[in-house]
Amino acid sequence: MGIEIGSVRLSLDDLAARVAQEFAGELTDVSIQEPDTIVARLECSKLHPVARRLHDLAEIAYDSLNWIAAVDYRTHFESVYHLYSYATNTYLEVHVEVPRAKAVVETVCDIWPAADWHEREAWDMMGIRYEGHPDLRRILLKDDWIGHPLRKDYVDLAENHPNV
Amino acid sequence: MGLTGGLKYPKLEDFEHPNIITTSADLVFNWARSHSVFPFTYGLACCAIEMLSSGFARFDIARYGMEVFRPTPRQCDLMIVAGTVNEKMAPVLKRLYDQMAEPKWVIAMGACATSGGPFYDGYNVVNGVDKVVPVDVYIPGCPPRPEALFQGLLELQKKIQKMSFVAPTAAAASGK
Repeated sequence: MGIEIGSVRLSLDDLAARVAQEFAGELTDVSIQEPDTIVARLECSKLHPVARRLHDLAEIAYDSLNWIAAVDYRTHFESVYHLYSYATNTYLEVHVEVPRAKAVVETVCDIWPAADWHEREAWDMMGIRYEGHPDLRRILLKDDWIGHPLRKDYVDLAENHPNV
Repeated sequence: MGLTGGLKYPKLEDFEHPNIITTSADLVFNWARSHSVFPFTYGLACCAIEMLSSGFARFDIARYGMEVFRPTPRQCDLMIVAGTVNEKMAPVLKRLYDQMAEPKWVIAMGACATSGGPFYDGYNVVNGVDKVVPVDVYIPGCPPRPEALFQGLLELQKKIQKMSFVAPTAAAASGK
């Protein structure tokens, strides 16, 4: 069984309406971004079940995770999931707000295995902890690094630089 | 230039304990070492592309007898650090340097290996490989062209040709 890219032909507006209807009360602020992207917000606590359903949707399944971005807005973090649907040939951006005081999000590794290294990078750079991740180690920096350098309030310590 | 590439027999009086055998051995060893340097393939970033292209026919590093790139430190005597050294790589680089057999030399190729270059003061960047291992020749450029690498190698050759088994006298060391 091969996947035919774009086999489901829906206009972006119709698709956005269908996604909004399917996830009423879960995905909020659904908007479209021409030419091929739907943008939506999602509450942190609802992430895992909604992600599972997005992946398993009939016909228009968002079965591919392109990447996870982490953003520091100073007041809060955001974990952004960039999903792709082969059937409709469109993208879905899910913005998940993460409180600064308790930067913990549930992992989506079990849904999209591609999330593994992306979540490790977000943890390494931004300090967002992905609960349930099978192997949440630093991926780019040394294992004993202190702090998360892409946070806006990051302070570089001398301990991180033994070779000066 | 001839077979010895301009090498000259050192004078007997240059040495603290004049000895015919070591003067000749110096010449032979320096000639051999400086014309058959085995570089260690230490490509870390875009400088590595220039280093590799210098190995191909267009630039042809084999003209200097230095084309035998080795992927293991145990068979090398020159480490060409081509690229950005970061904090995670630094202890690995040190260990590989320690595994190379003496005599050994290090070339810092490009701005990053020399000083951190465009990434100077970056949170994960070592500001120059000389913070980790001793460097013999620095090559500026971002990245340096293969010709610049060759000039660095020729400078290294000159340095190797001044090596000796016996300590030179103070007069010889000061160049008199």
